[in-house]
Amino acid sequence: MDENTNNNVLVIGAGMGGIQASLLLAEAGKQVYLVEKEPLFGGNVIKYEEVFPNMECSTCMIAPKQQEVLQNPNIELMTHSIVEDVQGSVGNFSVKIKKKARYVSLVNCIGCGACYDPCPVSLDNEFEQNLSQKKAIYIPCPGALPNVPVIDPEYCTRLKGVDECSACKDSCMFEAIEYDQKDEILDVKVTAVIVATGFGLFDITAAPKYGYGKVKNVYSAFEFERLFAKNGPTEGNTVLKGGENPNSIAIIHCVGRKELGYCSGVCCMYSYKFSQYLKHSFPDAKVFQLYSDMCVPGKSYQKFYKQTMDKGVDFIYHEDVEVKGNGSKIKLNVKNGKDKDQELEVDMVILAQSLKSTESNSELAKILGIEQDDKGFFVSMTESFEPASTAKPGIYVVGCSEAPKDVPQSIAQAEAAVGKVLALT
Amino acid sequence: MSDKIGVYVCECGPNIGEAIDIDKVIEAISPIEDVAVVRRHKLLCSGDGQNFLVDEIKNEGLTHVVLGACSPKDHEITFMNVATRAGINPYLIQVVNIREQCAWIFKDKDIATKKAIKYIRAGIERIKYHKPLQKKELDANPDVLVLGGGLAGIEAALALTQTDRKVYLVEKSADLGGSVMKFEKLLSHQGFNLGLIKEKVDKINSNENIEVLTSTNVESVIGFFGNFEVTTKPAGEEAGGKSFIVGAVVVASGYNWFDLESTPRYGYKKIEDVFTINDFGRMIEESEKLKLSTGKEPKSIALVHCGGRKELGYCSRVCCMQMMNIGNYIKDKYPGIEVHELHSDLCVSSKNDQKYYEKSKEKGINFIRMKGVEVGGKAGAISIEYTTLAGDKGKLAVDMAVVAPGMIPEAGTPQVADMLNVPLHPTGFFKEGHEKLNPVGTTMDGIYVVGCAQGPKSFMETLIQAQAATGKIFSHLIPGKKIEPEVKVSEIIEAFCTGCQTCLDVCFYGAITYDEDKGVSVVNEAICRGCGNCAGSCPSDAIRPKHFTTTQLYQEVVEALRE
Ligand SMILES: Cc1cc2nc3c(=O)[nH]c(=O)nc-3n(C[C@H](O)[C@H](O)[C@H](O)COP(=O)(O)OP(=O)(O)OC[C@H]3O[C@@H](n4cnc5c(N)ncnc54)[C@H](O)[C@@H]3O)c2cc1C
Ligand SMILES: Cc1cc2nc3c(=O)[nH]c(=O)nc-3n(C[C@H](O)[C@H](O)[C@H](O)COP(=O)(O)OP(=O)(O)OC[C@H]3O[C@@H](n4cnc5c(N)ncnc54)[C@H](O)[C@@H]3O)c2cc1C
Ligand code: SF4
Ligand code: SF4
Ligand code: SF4
Ligand code: SF4
Ligand code: SF4
Repeated sequence: MDENTNNNVLVIGAGMGGIQASLLLAEAGKQVYLVEKEPLFGGNVIKYEEVFPNMECSTCMIAPKQQEVLQNPNIELMTHSIVEDVQGSVGNFSVKIKKKARYVSLVNCIGCGACYDPCPVSLDNEFEQNLSQKKAIYIPCPGALPNVPVIDPEYCTRLKGVDECSACKDSCMFEAIEYDQKDEILDVKVTAVIVATGFGLFDITAAPKYGYGKVKNVYSAFEFERLFAKNGPTEGNTVLKGGENPNSIAIIHCVGRKELGYCSGVCCMYSYKFSQYLKHSFPDAKVFQLYSDMCVPGKSYQKFYKQTMDKGVDFIYHEDVEVKGNGSKIKLNVKNGKDKDQELEVDMVILAQSLKSTESNSELAKILGIEQDDKGFFVSMTESFEPASTAKPGIYVVGCSEAPKDVPQSIAQAEAAVGKVLALT
Repeated sequence: MSDKIGVYVCECGPNIGEAIDIDKVIEAISPIEDVAVVRRHKLLCSGDGQNFLVDEIKNEGLTHVVLGACSPKDHEITFMNVATRAGINPYLIQVVNIREQCAWIFKDKDIATKKAIKYIRAGIERIKYHKPLQKKELDANPDVLVLGGGLAGIEAALALTQTDRKVYLVEKSADLGGSVMKFEKLLSHQGFNLGLIKEKVDKINSNENIEVLTSTNVESVIGFFGNFEVTTKPAGEEAGGKSFIVGAVVVASGYNWFDLESTPRYGYKKIEDVFTINDFGRMIEESEKLKLSTGKEPKSIALVHCGGRKELGYCSRVCCMQMMNIGNYIKDKYPGIEVHELHSDLCVSSKNDQKYYEKSKEKGINFIRMKGVEVGGKAGAISIEYTTLAGDKGKLAVDMAVVAPGMIPEAGTPQVADMLNVPLHPTGFFKEGHEKLNPVGTTMDGIYVVGCAQGPKSFMETLIQAQAATGKIFSHLIPGKKIEPEVKVSEIIEAFCTGCQTCLDVCFYGAITYDEDKGVSVVNEAICRGCGNCAGSCPSDAIRPKHFTTTQLYQEVVEALRE
């Protein structure tokens, strides 16, 4: 490596994987730029109330890590930011980062929340899977970190130039609202890049047989996570569209498995988690799991499945299923290899969707010059026994950006990438 | 010098300022003994606020500071840094949470104010008993012991190699390579490159920073992160052992196979031509020919998944793929042989596994989903009886069966765990430090467990874990750099300790030892994490968790409860 060598590392994506990588690098004395596209960080895990297999509170797991990131002088967290360009090679990459205007000062704001109510604009809250509304100035959910709101310039009437509204600014005692913030471009040099951009979920509107969007009370996996979350739109009271609690629920496994061509390895486990959520809230409700394989690899996952079964959940093998509306009820035609379909009637359906690659991966693949597989996940060099390394020296991929994984696997891969980065110097 | 306590109440804008009557707080707090000043500020955590505090501490000559503000989770570190900047010990500040615990939970300003006063009073009584605590630095040895030379151990040893770090790789058998080396033909058929492992072994053997000790057992490991004393002994010999110091230990002692003989339903060892994966691998390794006991080539083979899964209570993660590999091997080399795979679930959770399954189907492997199976009959007419998911009975006649035994912990695991003072999982594998957040660590700092020693793992998971331990070691144990153990540790007051040793059992971290000569227990401050478990268990009240002494807590609680 030449004299240009610096002490910096870029981490893209601040979910479990990116956070763990950043913390370890920082501890080793590296200066870390942690770039997260959303205005909040923590990744998908912050949507969950609890995490398998111990059913511990998800916030309690991730919040201390987030605090460590926020307080670590070696980590510069850039939320609401994207990587626009990367040039150079291992030991000396030049990176262009776009920090999108937040219109709220990260320094001055103390997160009191006084500015939301006065804002006259309401819009769907995407983080809450559109199950609730937010204002044009918002934090996505209570407890989001950093605890500083963001103004959506596409909805804020002032920023759109529609009027001179200053309701939020007027209500802020801390001079934190900065309407004239501009997007900023930051040029940094780094020795290595760790990509931790996570996953998305299989697009269920592409598989009409599940009835999503057509049949009432058919929910996606994330919708259900939010409907159970204490900091979610219903404060953890899982209600159907009509406001009542469900009495019978079917959780359908492997939604997208056939279409995508792989098993995601975690949706069985999160489905059992869902059953445990439901049995916790509604001990008398009937819960059916329509599984195809019980994917419970390793020493402790089968036990979790057994625990779920012991709570009185019914497991039904299925090869295919059709979901139809039937008055206020939902009718399921379950095909399981027998001549006649099994029929089920429930009032709530939850779709355990497969994990798929993050949409922005293709853009990032171009910027970084790394390869994606036919499913959009980044390719690591498994054949040469380097499961966290890409073919491009100095660029590493971890967590669900490389393939579907659970939290411990994502963390282990992040730690592996850190090992590789620290071996460079 | 007597105490001069400064009390500062943060308005936190309207958050505290409007919800609590701060003037009333100041009025109530000011008369308290040793309180030198009580002041309010708009926003203590801001740059301005911090500078204000530094000036106050210096100008007023304060010895202690109590802050009525937000949760210590938010800004304790900020305020500890302020203390350091102002020249007082950071443990002589106390953050009292009057925002989340007072301002934000009451609608009634009077109640919030009353509670805030009590809390601040309690903080003041507590801080009077605070002692300055100093950060310590310990020399740390950067060398690493890797225990076990299979896939995981080899990867870890090689990845850990740095010029200023020595790695000791101890393997109890005569050769490096572990379980996979016995299956060259089978594994290379599936494209797993055993040549790479051999290359790595060569690199290890020629690397002067790695000392390879084969046919060697580790006898003892004593010490703590940064300073473990290791002694080894050549297998089967009395003399010739070595001892050396390392800073960290990576356990990569692998796994064993479930004993199929123990469950009669597989017919193993009772019916000829019923094999395990192991036997099958050995057979093709020896002659590349598939042979029955009669010397003839088989015409139909049943591959039975999940051997022992029910007994073990867990899924062994890799046997589905192993069995499909065997199926593919047979179909590719002997297309004429019928292959039936009797599986329960298909564990195909790595991203390319399902494709492999689909290809296997195309090759004509007959997959049968079952929930129970029994291998019976006799050589030449082996009968496989199975139950489908729907409860129907099925029967197959084959002339060879291969059963997949699950993975179990390596036989020596309990002894190794005991030696290292790390806990085991109920299944008998090593237990990770935290099921999600710390997948390769253990409860002991500086001791890592990787690969199948920790539970069933695929090749790639094994490699990732080995590299993950490397990442942690590179980050925590840097050559030439000292380590900083926890400051808020527990200490045992010798005069009070009766030597009952109750505390030894409750310490998760093995930080307490018993000093035979003095007849008292001693805390090793380098290991202690300050959890306080021991203090609660000591019948003689001999243990002081620094910063959480009984006196500190007692004074705080009494004052909080006083009207
Ligand atoms: C419904 C459901 C429930 C689950 N429950 C559990 C459970 O209980 N226990 C468990 O162990 N696992 C669970 N999982 C799996 C778990 O969510 C993942 O293992 C984990 O989130 C992976 O972490 P990650 O960091 O790889 O990705 P993510 O959590 O997806 O984080 C990726 C981050 O990168 C950001 N990002 C993406 N693209 C870019 C870009 N171009 N630039 C900058 N930033 C970007 C994203 O905004 C996100 O913050 C569950 C999964 C699902 C779908
Ligand atoms: C035939 C076969 C097929 C497989 N197929 C697949 C597959 O298709 N896909 C897949 O992903 N995975 C597969 N695996 C799994 C893979 O083998 C394991 O993930 C991997 O080998 C685990 O490596 P390890 O280093 O943890 O354990 P091991 O290979 O068991 O190595 C452990 C080593 O530690 C040594 N040791 C044990 N105790 C001590 C001690 N006290 N002191 C010193 N040394 C000790 C042992 O002698 C051994 O050399 C297969 C395994 C086999 C055998
Ligand atoms: S911008 Fe102002 S009003 Fe809004 S949360 Fe931040 S400090 Fe409070
Ligand atoms: S993990 Fe379970 S639900 Fe998910 S694709 Fe695999 S078998 Fe289906
Ligand atoms: S990996 Fe497959 S064969 Fe092995 S225990 Fe799990 S389901 Fe059974
Ligand atoms: S419990 Fe108390 S008295 Fe007993 S050995 Fe420990 S410190 Fe000494
Ligand atoms: S405080 Fe906790 S870690 Fe320290 S000696 Fe006591 S029990 Fe062990």
